[in-house]
Amino acid sequence: MMRHLVLISIAAFVVAMLALFLVKHEVRGLEHELAALEHERQSHVEAIRVLRSEWSYLTRPSRLAALAERHLPLEPVAPAQVRWLPQRPSGASAFVTPIGGEREL
Amino acid sequence: MRDLATRRWWRRGSTSRREDAAAQAQPALLERARGRLLVTGVIFLLCFGALVVRTLDVAVIGAPVDISTAGDASAFDPAARADIVDRHGVLLASNLPTHALYVEPGKIFDREEAVAALGRLFPDLDPERTASLIASGKKSALLRHDLTPEQAHSINRLGIPGLWLERQEQRVYPQGRLFAHAVGFTDVDNRGLAGVEKAADAELRRRAEAHSGPLALSLDIRVQHALAQALQDTMTAHRALGAAGMVMDVETGELLALVSLPSFDPKAPDRSPAETLFNRATLGTYELGSTFKPFTVAAALDLGIAGIEDSYDATEPIRVSRYLIRDHHPENRWLTVPEILIHSSNIGAARMAVEVGAERQRTFLDALGMFERMPLETSERGRPLAPRRWSEHTTMTVSYGHGLAVTPLHLLANYAALVNGGIAVTPTLLKREPGEQMVQRRVISAETSAVMRMLLYAVVAEGTGKNAAVPGYLVGGKTGTAEKAIGGRYKRDSMITNFVGVFPIDRPRYAVLTMMDEPKGTKETYGFATAGWTAAPVAGAVIERIAPLLGVPAIVEPDETEEEPAFARWDGAGRHASY
Repeated sequence: MMRHLVLISIAAFVVAMLALFLVKHEVRGLEHELAALEHERQSHVEAIRVLRSEWSYLTRPSRLAALAERHLPLEPVAPAQVRWLPQRPSGASAFVTPIGGEREL
Repeated sequence: MRDLATRRWWRRGSTSRREDAAAQAQPALLERARGRLLVTGVIFLLCFGALVVRTLDVAVIGAPVDISTAGDASAFDPAARADIVDRHGVLLASNLPTHALYVEPGKIFDREEAVAALGRLFPDLDPERTASLIASGKKSALLRHDLTPEQAHSINRLGIPGLWLERQEQRVYPQGRLFAHAVGFTDVDNRGLAGVEKAADAELRRRAEAHSGPLALSLDIRVQHALAQALQDTMTAHRALGAAGMVMDVETGELLALVSLPSFDPKAPDRSPAETLFNRATLGTYELGSTFKPFTVAAALDLGIAGIEDSYDATEPIRVSRYLIRDHHPENRWLTVPEILIHSSNIGAARMAVEVGAERQRTFLDALGMFERMPLETSERGRPLAPRRWSEHTTMTVSYGHGLAVTPLHLLANYAALVNGGIAVTPTLLKREPGEQMVQRRVISAETSAVMRMLLYAVVAEGTGKNAAVPGYLVGGKTGTAEKAIGGRYKRDSMITNFVGVFPIDRPRYAVLTMMDEPKGTKETYGFATAGWTAAPVAGAVIERIAPLLGVPAIVEPDETEEEPAFARWDGAGRHASY
């Protein structure tokens, strides 16, 4: 009876040690992966910040106006070019939101 | 073997018969030993059991979950200062990661090589200064900050020991000069020094810490651009010293645009001429002239002192103590209340103010906030300059905007109150949420406000504000031209011209203020530099540009309505039965 216990204990010890080693190894690998992902995410966040600033810089109204003047046969909208429906048809109001009205970006 | 199989050999071992006998002789002793062994075993078992339970508890059940790696992307944002955006989310100010370059002279092997390499990377760096910095005995010294990512990369590629980079954050203003006065700027340590950056400094830090997103201003980049461009064009054409302009929502007090020209580069305010940093719209106080007359009229109407039909004697100038009050375009006759505004009669306004009286005039202006700083989320707010003694002469001159210097913001906010039904507005640069509750403080009655709208419309329709008229829109407004007081004297050829326009005047939504500092006459304006020629046309041009953008419907001329859109037929109520 005692002998069985000893043998089982030794076997369990070996198995536990092996499992611990494997798990620890795997955790270390995952930690490395996490650190790499964290670093990558950080650089993406920074890149997004930079790109957002650049987007805002490149879409400066003065620059867009100059580009539009050079490349497009368009002019600023005159009040007479914009028409509002005299009365909104009931039940069909979804598509008559005024151009340039409140919008969310 | 039989012996082994039948006896418990491992317990008795190779004990001799004699010892065996001895053992049998002491069964009590053996029992006691077995008992002790059992107790010890149980104790050990309990201990190990506790260890196992605790191990499982630590490793499996109570394993700490790293919450910082969960959540939305903005939670990762490391910026120390929140972004500033316009009312539609266009980025106006942001923090970008940059690097600062430090040098540790003690660690540099080859000084000449280091100086030469740095010179190649930064051609604008003074080689002698670099050399002396490296030769100095300092432990470390800042060589340069705000390096671009490429520059930082090249420094790393140099691989010179003793050069090291430190991560920094840099405030950037992608829109450059356009929002310079409204948004303001920060110092190198990202502390707000002017504008919203200063006024909302704590809020911007709090938002960055709480990751609660960017600070949304009330400004609209499209309106801001239209206003800045129109002002700049006119300023150049009339060789003016400066210009200012604002667009305000007359109900909420939100500023959609705030421009002061000449502007400066918010990235390098120290390299711009000091006078460009001055905010003419909110900090500068000016005697604004005839744009004050509507307040005189509103006070007289609201107190019931004058009616719209009443007339005042403007046949000849008024002499009061040693001053002479004259009209610029004398009609030399009795003028009705609307005519006083249409022809911008100083004499008429002065007579009306005398009837109102000094005390009530002061009370009225005080209720409008004309003697205090106007609240606004900026560090540049001018305090009005009022005379210490309020004589009869003061009453007369203030009635047409002389003797009391206020900021253009004071003027605009109170025009909003004049036309919006008589409710005072609190100007703001921050976006208000729809449905936000505001304190309602009435300054004039709704009836007086309705009359003021008609009067302001008359000024643009047939008075001095004709040049602000925009086809398709009903615009109301008032011009103001004042000589600048320089060294205690009024200078005839140095003028402040301004105009406040409201559109659409039948149901006001927005008020536009334009101001020119010392404009000169041109051939196109027949040599005139007064507000009707310099400030009113700018407001007209701005309204023409922004009204469609802001969704203000134009009035369709009757002959154009004949061809109604096909949608009209869809009306289920059959209101278009004639179709």
